[in-house]
Amino acid sequence: MIVKTLYVTNKLGVHARPAGMIVDITGQTKSDVTIIHDGQKANAKSILNVMMLAIPPGSEVQFEIDGQDEEDVMKQLERLFHDNFHEESY
Amino acid sequence: MSAYSLKDLNVNCRDKYPVKNLWLKHKDLLQLELCTGEDSLNGFIEESGLHRPGLAMAGFTSVYSSHQIQVIGHTEWNYLESLGPEKRRAIFKNLSQFHSPLWVITHDQKPHQELLDMCNDQNAPIFCTPLYTFEFANIVQRILEDFFAPYAVIHASLVDVYGVGMLYIGESNVGKSECVLDLVERGHRLVADDVVHISQIGSSIIGRANPMVKHHMEIRGVGIIDIRSMFGIHAVRKIKKIEVIVELQQWDRHATYDRTGLSSSVEEIMGVKIPHILIPVLPGKNLTVISEVIAMNSLMKMDGMDTASSFNELLLRRIKEKAKGHKVEDFMDESIFNGNAYE
Repeated sequence: MIVKTLYVTNKLGVHARPAGMIVDITGQTKSDVTIIHDGQKANAKSILNVMMLAIPPGSEVQFEIDGQDEEDVMKQLERLFHDNFHEESY
Repeated sequence: MSAYSLKDLNVNCRDKYPVKNLWLKHKDLLQLELCTGEDSLNGFIEESGLHRPGLAMAGFTSVYSSHQIQVIGHTEWNYLESLGPEKRRAIFKNLSQFHSPLWVITHDQKPHQELLDMCNDQNAPIFCTPLYTFEFANIVQRILEDFFAPYAVIHASLVDVYGVGMLYIGESNVGKSECVLDLVERGHRLVADDVVHISQIGSSIIGRANPMVKHHMEIRGVGIIDIRSMFGIHAVRKIKKIEVIVELQQWDRHATYDRTGLSSSVEEIMGVKIPHILIPVLPGKNLTVISEVIAMNSLMKMDGMDTASSFNELLLRRIKEKAKGHKVEDFMDESIFNGNAYE
């Protein structure tokens, strides 16, 4: 299992569109993916789980990935967060 | 891969509407009375629309739509009436250079002898109708628009679900017919299975069944079944506007499906954009209930309710409050004393 902290750097935070982009990545893998924010854990493959966290811009998010392709999934998530979900930056 | 059967359609157009069809099929609707002989009905209307020859009667003939229906309304008839026979004869002598498929006189007026003479010479029919010009024009316009509409045939199925025209596309064997059958069983109406004749009228695409196949379906392993006699008259519908395209696709782990409902995808059929939804097919997945949800969701959208957008607005508000350090609601806010049934 790998754990990594990523930063939400877009202006609007993790609203529906970014949440959709996250589950597009996590939904394709057989690995278990958990998203943790502010002490709350959620299944990162479910869009409603991700959205309920209401993650504001500038905050920290932790991903726990467990499975065969964990490294690859983490890399994709890192790239997505790094690119501000293709939105305006914070 | 997407919507493959809607690309490169073989689009055709009809260009000759037989005057005889107008008479045989629509004389009651248009309340037509034929003022010339039956043999005058052999012409063809080659252009949609009506022509009112008022200006031509006044002498301006350099632009004249002779392939259209010529309509003598209240204005034209009274103009002719005011002239007297000599001048009328001169007018129709001038107009006899054009050969029109038919003449119609509205408002329950009778044709003048001079017009009758010209039409008898040309063997063109004259109809009288008690309808007002605008009423006649409205009906004829719809008949001709439908006839001259570009048309094509597609491999798909069309069902009316809660009044929403849902077109199912996808590869053979993906389960279109089974989905359609299940919808019919739940009280929705089959328009066409497997073969859909579509035509473009204005900004709408209208679908019909093949006149030979009609309400028959083929279910693999069972054979040909007749939906109308099996389920009853309420299970079929003859014609329906296509409002949503549902593409069924064998589930693919690496394909991306719409998760939020925020990005609306459209598919173009004959230049008309129609909402398009891609649904992955998996064993044990209930396509019928998903179809009903799609139909209800599009009814809600037509009524101005966009759930995905309003949910996202709520979420954005919540994120802002949280960023400001405001307290966000806790699921414990819903006190157990509010609902005795859950205690």
